[in-house]
Amino acid sequence: MRRTGPAAHSLRWRLLRAVSVATLLVWSLSGVFSYLKAQHEAEELMDGHLAQSARLLLALVRDNESHLGDLAMRLATVRGTSDNIYEPPLEFQIGHGDGTILLRSDAAPLLPVLGVAGYSDIERDTESWRVLNMVAADGNYRVQVAQSIAMRDQAALEVASQSVYPIVIVLPLLLLASYFSVRRVLRPLDALADDVAVRTPETLTPLPERDVPQEVAPLVGALNRLFGRLGQTLENERRFTADAAHELRTPLAAVKVQTQVAMLAADPQIRGHALQQIESGVDRATRLVNQLLRLARLDPMHQLDHPQAFDLRGVVDEALRAIRNARPQIGHEIVEELPAQPLIVAGDPDLLGIALRNLVDNALRYSGPGSSIRISAAGSGERCMLSVRDNGPGVPADIQTRLGERFYRHCDSGAEGNGLGLAIVGRIAELHGGQFAAGNHPDGGFVATLSELRLAPAASGSSA
Amino acid sequence: MRLLLVEDDALLGDGIRAGLMLAAYAVDWVRDGKAGLRALLDHDYDACVLDLGLPGLDGLAVLKAARQQGRQLPVLLLTARDTRDDKIHGLDCGADDYLTKPFDLAELQARLRALLRRAGGAAGPVLGHAGVELDPATKRVTRHGEEIALSAREYALLLDLLNHPRHVRTRAQLEESLYAWGSETDSNTVEVYIHHLRKKLGAEFIRTVRGLGYQLGQSA
Repeated sequence: MRRTGPAAHSLRWRLLRAVSVATLLVWSLSGVFSYLKAQHEAEELMDGHLAQSARLLLALVRDNESHLGDLAMRLATVRGTSDNIYEPPLEFQIGHGDGTILLRSDAAPLLPVLGVAGYSDIERDTESWRVLNMVAADGNYRVQVAQSIAMRDQAALEVASQSVYPIVIVLPLLLLASYFSVRRVLRPLDALADDVAVRTPETLTPLPERDVPQEVAPLVGALNRLFGRLGQTLENERRFTADAAHELRTPLAAVKVQTQVAMLAADPQIRGHALQQIESGVDRATRLVNQLLRLARLDPMHQLDHPQAFDLRGVVDEALRAIRNARPQIGHEIVEELPAQPLIVAGDPDLLGIALRNLVDNALRYSGPGSSIRISAAGSGERCMLSVRDNGPGVPADIQTRLGERFYRHCDSGAEGNGLGLAIVGRIAELHGGQFAAGNHPDGGFVATLSELRLAPAASGSSA
Repeated sequence: MRLLLVEDDALLGDGIRAGLMLAAYAVDWVRDGKAGLRALLDHDYDACVLDLGLPGLDGLAVLKAARQQGRQLPVLLLTARDTRDDKIHGLDCGADDYLTKPFDLAELQARLRALLRRAGGAAGPVLGHAGVELDPATKRVTRHGEEIALSAREYALLLDLLNHPRHVRTRAQLEESLYAWGSETDSNTVEVYIHHLRKKLGAEFIRTVRGLGYQLGQSA
């Protein structure tokens, strides 16, 4: 499981932690390296001193061979003390070329002076020594100088430590500086969060895209596009509600006025007419409410609840029967063009029946009396289509694009519609995986087509 | 009094026309904005009831165009939208009053009476001349306090004359007041009703201006 504390999700903390860890790592490595290097250099320096002292002693011995006793005393005063680690006591033995000791300091380790010339580390009685043996050029004298390794180490440590101290002092300052830089760099994000926080569904103004860091710009762009779509959706919804209220108010106003006319009129003919008008006003409001409820039910659906397989020809027959029953005095000729084989569609037969009745109602309403209406259905492959065509006057070209718009009515016709029918048919086509198109037919009249409706998989072969 | 009604909805328009005719107005009803504007420019109406949501040319555009052409008749707007901005905008475009659907027929009639009264220059609700008083709200007519029974057309004619007290009304104007489009009129209809009115209100009450038309007589 990942940690889920607020710090784990904070970019600021993650960035700060990464910077600190990296800084610490690099500084530790360089500290260790400096330390080792300083130690090494200190030892080289001390070895150099050892060699210089040895050569000095050799020269002194040669010049003072006659009074070596005095030399020993004088040397004892200048060879350093153990109080100062930078000047550790120099122990020495001086001998003849054959190894006999001529002179030695008090604390010098008891070693033969006959050792091989050069540096060596020697342990004697719990103490370690850095020893240098040197032979005079003529071979008459030998010198052995020694320093306590413990003292040398102490000196080397001191030197190396001095080189690491600045690092230790600067490190907290560096971490503090990184903390403030990270905060400053991330400030635009805080500003953006504030900007987003003040927005409400009513005020979805785009966020400013200028002055935004390059890395944040895609986020701001995506947010602005989302705001745009959201605003559009909300606006549509507001408009739909307003339109729905408007559409309902008009028949209600009509019913109210007609009612008052009926109450005021003394003439029975006027009163009778008003009462008839009231009835058709109530019918119209009822139809409108039914259509609104239908749209409200269809709108949020992403797919059909319980799709079933059924024969589309049955839906056509049933819808036609319903239309003929509702309008026995129909002045139109209605022709069906259906395939001989069943057309098994996957979907909701009731919804397709509603779509078909809407289209036939439209055709009856707008095509004019005596027109003929042709209902055809056909399948091909895995899809099928259903269309209703009339031979009426069609619609003016400039309003064709507005036909699917909710509450849009083509008014020159003088017929009463509520402008929701085609929107509902379009929604039903979508829910059946298809498309809906309506417009003037090139050969005259008006045609509305639901195309690309899904056929039930098992039946797709037989219906082709 | 002749009114223009511009309303696209068949049911509502039919109801308003019937309601206004019950109040003894002659009503011409058109169903879209273009026809409404044409009627306003071609004819002389006493007032207009104008729906805002019209096909073709919307109500506000009709109103603005009519005002620009110098039409000063009172205009009452009808609308289904009742936001404050809609009302302000409508009034600023030149409307004189405003009703939101659904509305009361009696209120529509009363507002029209008020508009017509103000347009005629009268301050009080009761119109009067030479001892004759007409109350448009109750449609009662009295002469020296005595109630006089008038037919609908006699009443309409008297209302027109009282609404234009200082003007000579031509026979054509008075005919327009009596009838909506399509009603049949005889050539001497106006003379017939003027004659009836003189019989009921006194011969001096209406003066004939030879060659022009009729006017209210001198006040006694």
